[in-house]
Formats: sequence, structure tokens, C-alpha cells
Amino acid sequence: MKLILKGHGSIHSRVAMYTLSLCLLLLLSFPLGTEAAEVDLKPGDTIGPQNWEKAKGMVGENFLNRIKAGHTIQIKSSKIYKPLKEYVDATEKYSAKVRLGPDGELLNYVAGQPFPNIDLKGPQVGQKLAWNFFWRWLGDDYKTGGAVKGGKIIRSAIEKDGSERRADLVSYYILPRTRYTLDPKPAIPGYEHIDYMQLRIDSYPRDAAGTTTLEIRYDDPKKADDLYIYIPSIRRIRRASTTQRCQTLAPSEFALDDINSFSGKITDFNYNFLGEKKVLANLSQEHLPFHRKQGDYLPLDEKWEVVDTYVLEITPKDPNYCYPKKVLHLNKMTFDTHWTLIWDKKGDYWKEQFGMFTPVKLTDGREAWSVGDVTIVNVQNGRSTIVTSTRAYNQGYPVSMFSLATLQRIMRGGSVE
Amino acid sequence: MEQMRKKYLSLLGPLLILLTTSHVQAYSIFGDEVENFLKEKVTFGGFIENTTGLAVGPGDRRHFNTANHFDMNRFTILPELNVKFRDDVKLFISWRFVKEPRYNMEARSRRRTVAPAPVEPLNNRFYDEDSFKPWELVWDIVPTDRLSLRLGRQFISWGESDGVRLLDVINPQDLTFSPPAAPNLFSLDETRIPLWGLKALYTVPPGSNTILEFFAMPGYDEAKKRVDDIVGSNDTADGLVKYGRWSSHPETRMPFGRMFTNGLPGRSTIIPSTFRVLPNAGDDWRLGGRILHTIGQLNFGLAYIYTYNPQASDMVFKLIGTSPGPGPTTIARLMLVNDRTSIYGAHFNYPVEVLKATLRGEVAFYPSKPYNISKFPGNAFRAGPDPKYPNGTVEKDTLRYVIGVDRSFFIPALHPDDPFRSFNFSFQLFQNIILDHEDGIHPFSTAEKIKKVSSILTLRVGTGYLGDTVLPDIFLGYDPDGYWTANPAVSYVPPWNEKIKLSLIGAIYGGHNKFKSFGFFDEKDSIFLKMRYQF
Repeated sequence: MKLILKGHGSIHSRVAMYTLSLCLLLLLSFPLGTEAAEVDLKPGDTIGPQNWEKAKGMVGENFLNRIKAGHTIQIKSSKIYKPLKEYVDATEKYSAKVRLGPDGELLNYVAGQPFPNIDLKGPQVGQKLAWNFFWRWLGDDYKTGGAVKGGKIIRSAIEKDGSERRADLVSYYILPRTRYTLDPKPAIPGYEHIDYMQLRIDSYPRDAAGTTTLEIRYDDPKKADDLYIYIPSIRRIRRASTTQRCQTLAPSEFALDDINSFSGKITDFNYNFLGEKKVLANLSQEHLPFHRKQGDYLPLDEKWEVVDTYVLEITPKDPNYCYPKKVLHLNKMTFDTHWTLIWDKKGDYWKEQFGMFTPVKLTDGREAWSVGDVTIVNVQNGRSTIVTSTRAYNQGYPVSMFSLATLQRIMRGGSVE
Repeated sequence: MEQMRKKYLSLLGPLLILLTTSHVQAYSIFGDEVENFLKEKVTFGGFIENTTGLAVGPGDRRHFNTANHFDMNRFTILPELNVKFRDDVKLFISWRFVKEPRYNMEARSRRRTVAPAPVEPLNNRFYDEDSFKPWELVWDIVPTDRLSLRLGRQFISWGESDGVRLLDVINPQDLTFSPPAAPNLFSLDETRIPLWGLKALYTVPPGSNTILEFFAMPGYDEAKKRVDDIVGSNDTADGLVKYGRWSSHPETRMPFGRMFTNGLPGRSTIIPSTFRVLPNAGDDWRLGGRILHTIGQLNFGLAYIYTYNPQASDMVFKLIGTSPGPGPTTIARLMLVNDRTSIYGAHFNYPVEVLKATLRGEVAFYPSKPYNISKFPGNAFRAGPDPKYPNGTVEKDTLRYVIGVDRSFFIPALHPDDPFRSFNFSFQLFQNIILDHEDGIHPFSTAEKIKKVSSILTLRVGTGYLGDTVLPDIFLGYDPDGYWTANPAVSYVPPWNEKIKLSLIGAIYGGHNKFKSFGFFDEKDSIFLKMRYQF
């Protein structure tokens, strides 16, 4: 296993030692952490090479290695978000009837959190947590990048040698069958069979600008997603197969299923609840994008907080899927993911992803939360990708915006709003 | 005129500088309101590009014998501007400026290859584009959520094929500057000619994803000379050469007069006097409509296009008449016809989950499509006039279709640093079927028969290496009659600057003769270096 130790001189001389340490960490920390252990961390504490053990098991192992190699982080008090009333109301109203089907599909689901009262020692805990993650509150629609200055997602692809390329894009997302705030509620007539639709438009650099994808996720567990791509160089829409959802979306290190930590079809995977765990996360990111050294993915002056999570292991039902195991650390309240860890087919640690969150204002002035910066690091090839993608929720996008007609009217550098 | 052009060009630089720096200058010049408008509502982009081509085929070394064999040196600047006036009213404008400096030696070389003598070669500025007329200018107006209108000079592209045009024939294609069947060199977006017109899209409620589309292009564009250049012809009637650099070779096109007439009594030497009639591109009405719908996983469209015969290889010579020429010659007056065409079409795409692939197809029916026809063998020649068809043409219903499959593959051994960076494969079978076929149908410029069913297979493979900084791609075409083409390319995007792209591209053609299909360009092999800076 290769390690990423930027800013540290002799990588090779330490490989053997760290490999052994990492194997031990792998065994002892994330996968087997079944109880939320007490942690000796309080606001104001600093973690660095001198006391890196304090963060052991609370961050990804690559991140931990960077701390060992000299990176320091500060602990701050935890940011608590209140669940939104309409989501709580929908949960209370509809969750009692929700069941799991024989293939893990969701039955009788209308809106809200499907399984608010999970018995962590009960059956199919993993599957229930997965559905809670999938149907976490995401507003009725949102524009990813809408709350970033400039109104766009900023994506930086960082090479092992520190060189960087930027790309800008926007992404519009609508959940037509779980509407909490915007009319019609709880579903848009005619769209009850669709879980979500996503419209993604590249806007920079110029040659990519105008490339637009429309992705449709159906509630039918047997029906594959639809994915259409408008390609400006031929001015035509092409259909893409969504069955290769784990292919790298180069030049980023994300795969289609890595978007939002995990965007695979829930029924295509098996889930194993590994336990509860306290991790270090950031629920109130201070700078968007976070400050960092050019060519490196480490956030420099962001503080971290201790957050309670559920640890969920995901394994694909398809044996030919690209990777055999992914582990999510789900926030117990929001069900968003803080740390996502991926192993390759050889069992080697492969990718490490961490997402920071930030408070955002809804259109009615209430506070909600959104992902801020998401970082994914490929620990094997040394490349990393940072995406600044804060969302603007409940924008009232017409459902007709998510159609093939929209794909046909995108101009390079233009917008659909 | 020359002076005016120079003035325009000298203004271009300062104009571009003004546009690119307008955000900074707006405050002091126009005030806050304009500055805010420019910041929030206006985006600016585009690219600067140089494409240099080097002839490597033996034919071009023979016929195009400049010392350095450069057959392209094309500078392009394409600025683009988006203006969002309101959520439902947007404007997009782009301009395309092209300069192709040519060498005197090259001009002399071209002149030597031109025959007969009164005909002049293409002038040295033929490929230049220095008009301030917008390349594209579209107003996007969205009166309701479900209706959108696009008004202005625009592109409309229908269909599912890649590198082959069946339904993607609404805008004509400019093949004067670009070699044929080389999508890795110039994309369709760069070779189509935009037309003024209106396009309307209406999404039928509620969630059925049914879309109605209609377009009307009244033909306000001036006719562009020789937009269908690849098969070329000397319009001897007006003394102007219509051969571009990618036209077929002189020896493949000279003696075609005998395919249409045996000549007047005692005058068996035929001198073809060819001319074309306008319209030949973009100067009269084109209309069309289609319906798009999705049933289950099947997405399909049904279309009708009322247009002009839009492709070079579809044109025909029509014998208009004969008259005595000097000495023992007959002048055959041949008109290159670009007929009105109705196209009935359909296209579909369907994801085949079991194969992890997408199937796509496209079909176009041309009723009464004109072809040239001759009698084989002719009187002392390979082909002569067919007495059944005095003007040398026949009309046949024609069916064309393409069926393709796209699939991504993982080949970890070829991608050690990213085993799941896919190889994208795209395979197509294209067939042209002439219903009620007759022996003797041939391309307008050569005596090579066209069979009842002719086919072309294409394969395209692309991937990315080193974080997509190195992007190899190859497009291959194969005609089972014995012709082939290869269009390999490798691009480099430096990891430290997403705005720069360098591409090395080959356009290679082959075949058992030079009279049909890709064989037309058998000696036109070239390699290109393309350097693009995006702004």
C-alpha cells in the first residue's frame, strides 16, 4: 500500500513501518469499532504529531498519517442542527407503515425518515440505516453549488506532484415524491415513481462547458437509472449505460456511486451495521472553499468536532462491481456522511473521503445544513479531488426542467435558470 | 475590400481585449449598474487554436508538391458570450474568425494541378473567415415551463450516430477545410454551418417525457461556395475551381463526360462543361418536426425533414444538353444537382442492462432519391451513357440505417494507476439500401458501381491516462468493398492548466482503388498538430 505523506521528505523509508501500522489500524479501528467509546478530546485541544493517537480511529487512516507527519488540527465545540419540523412531521405521519421487502426494498414509504426508531440489535439494521441515509432530509430540491460564491461547484483535481486543474459545474436536484415544503406535497403528480432527478451542467473549462447529464433514479428496485448526456461537440443527447456506476469520473477520483458519499441504488448492495463510533468531523465549515496549500488537499484552518456516527459497511451484490467494500460514517442526526472509506479488490485501502458541512439559510430564513467541501483521496495513485458544493435548498425548480428538452437548450457557458 | 478586411482584423485584437477585461473596466466606464449586470448576467468564453497539417500521403506529395507539405495552417479565434437578460430570456453569441496563411509556393503548386487552363485554383483566402456576422446568435425564450423557443443562427442536430450523418443533416456540413471521416480532428460542432431559423420544443405533460420539436429555417444565409467539397468538380462553366484540399484526386474525375454521352456524330471527344445551380446550402426553406418519447427504457423519436440533399456523396450530375465544341469535340453540359429532399426518419436508444451497454439506432428513408446511372461497360470506356436514362439520372427509394452499441470496459492491466478508468467502445454498422436497385448506379464523379446494399463499419475507442491528462482516441471506418480509414488522436491536457490542450491527430485513408468510399482520399493522408487555449 502506498502512502500519501505530502510535506514529508522520505516516503519510501517509512513504507514498511507504516504499512504494518496501517494494517493494525485497519483491524483495530474503523471496521471493528462497535461501541461509541469515550474520547479524551475537548474544545480547544490540538492534535498533532506529538499526540496523534488521540485521533486514532476517528479519522481516515491517510488523514491520520498526515497528522503523524506534521499536520495539526484543533478541536471545537459541536454544532448541533435541529431537524426540520416538516421532516419530523412526515416521519411521525408515515414511518409506522414502512417495511422492508424480501430484497431489501422499501415498502409503503411516503416521506420522512423511514426508520426513526431502529433497534440496533435487531434484524436488518444495516439495510434500515441505508434507507435512512438515502431518504435523509435534502429539501424538496436544491442546487449544488448554489450557496457557493459564484453559484457553482468548484472542483479541483490535484495530482500527486501537486499540480492542479479546476473545473466548474452546477447540479440541480429534485425529489419529486418526497416534498415537505413546496407544493404540491407530498409528491408531484405523475412523478410518484421517481426518487430523484439530477441535472448536472459543466461550465468550465470551455470545451467541457455545456456538457449536461440528466440522471433519473426510479423507485422500482429492478429498474436501472436513466442517464442521458448532452455532448456539445456533437450537439446531441446520448444515452449512457448506468450499469458501470463505479467507473472513475476522471479527472476526479470520484465514481458515479461516490457522489454524495454513496449514490448507488440501495437494493443493489448489502449492508452491515458495524457499530456506533465517535469521529472527527466539521459541521460548521468556516471558509468555503477551505483554506489549503496549493497542491494539497488538507484543510489548514478548519476546526474539527467530535460527532456521533453509525458505521455502515456496504458490499455489492454484483461480484463484478469495482470495489468490494465501502464504509460510511453516518451522522446520527442528519444521516449525512462524514467519512467514507473504500477498499479495493485485493483488500488494500484505496480511497478516503471526508465531507465538511456548513449551515445554510432556507428561503424562509430557517437554518439547515449542507455539505460544504468534500475531499476524496486515492491513497494508491496519490491523486485527490476537492469539491466545494454547498447547496441552496427549496429553489422551486419546475419538474419540467429535468427533461430532455432542457438538455437540448443548454449553451456553452449558459444556464438553465 | 482588402483594406476593409485589414481594418476589421486590426480592430479585432482591441475588441477582444475589451471584452475579456470588461469586468474590470466596467466600474470606471459605465458605473455600478452595468458592472453588476456584467458580473451577474454575462459570461464570456471561447478559444484560440492553431491546427497545422502535414501531408504524408504519396498522392499529396505528387500533386501538392510544396517543399514542406503543409496542407493546413489554420488559426481560429472563437469568442462566445452569454447574456442572461431574464430567467426566461437569454442570448448566446459567438463569432468565428479564421486565418489560413498560405505560401506562394503552395499557390503555384495548386495552380499547376488545375486543369483545364482557364480554370483558376481556389484563391489563397478561400478558407479565411473574417466576417463579424455572428457564427451563432440565439435567443432562448422560455414562455412557459414546457415551451422553449430558440431563435437565431443556430445548429440543430438529430439522431444517434457517431461520425456518420443520417438525420443530422439539417445544418449543412463544411468539408472544405476538414478532411472527411475525421471526427477526432474537427468535431461536428466545428464543421456544421449554422443557419438562421426557429426551433420550438414543447414538453407534453405530465411526466411522460414526450417532447414535440419543430424547426423552420427560411434560408437567410448566403450560399456558401462548395460546402460539399470532398468529391469536388471544376465548374468549367464559370471558370472557378471547386476542388478543396480534400477533394478526390484529378485522375479520378477527369474522363467522366463519357459516362453521360457518346457525343454528337463525329465528335466523340467529350468536354464536360459543369455547373451547379443554387441553392446549394442554407439559402432556402428547411422545415422539420419530430416527436420524442420514452416507453419503459426505450427512448425514441420519429422525424420528418424537408430539406436539400445535404451530403456531398448524394449529389448527382444531370445531363442538360450537348453542343458542338472546338474540333472533333462535344460539349456536355452537366448540372450538379442538389435536389429537394424529404427525409422520413426515426431513432432510438435502449440500455441493455445484461450487456452493460447501450444500443442505439437511426433510420432514414429517402423517397425517390436521385442517382447517376450509366451502362457498364461503355463504348471503349468503362461506362457509357445508358439509353434508358438520357439525362444520366435515375430516382430510387433509398433506406439508410445505422445501428450502434456503446459499452465501457475495464482493462485493469492497461490502467495500472486507475483500474476503473474505463475504455469507451462504440461500434456502428451503417447500411445504405437502394430499393428496386438497377445495375449501373454509380457516384456522380466516377464509374464505380454502387451496390444494392453498401455498408460501413465504424469503431471508436477512447480512454484517459494519468488523471485524464493523456487522452488517446481512435476512430476506424471499414467498407467491406475494400476501403478503410483511421483517425487516431492523442491529446495532452497539462495537469497544471485545464485551459490548454494539445492534440496529435492522423487522418489516414486506404482502399483497393480511388474511386469510391474512403478510397477517394487514398492519397490524402495527413497528420495534424492542434493547439488550443480556452479562455
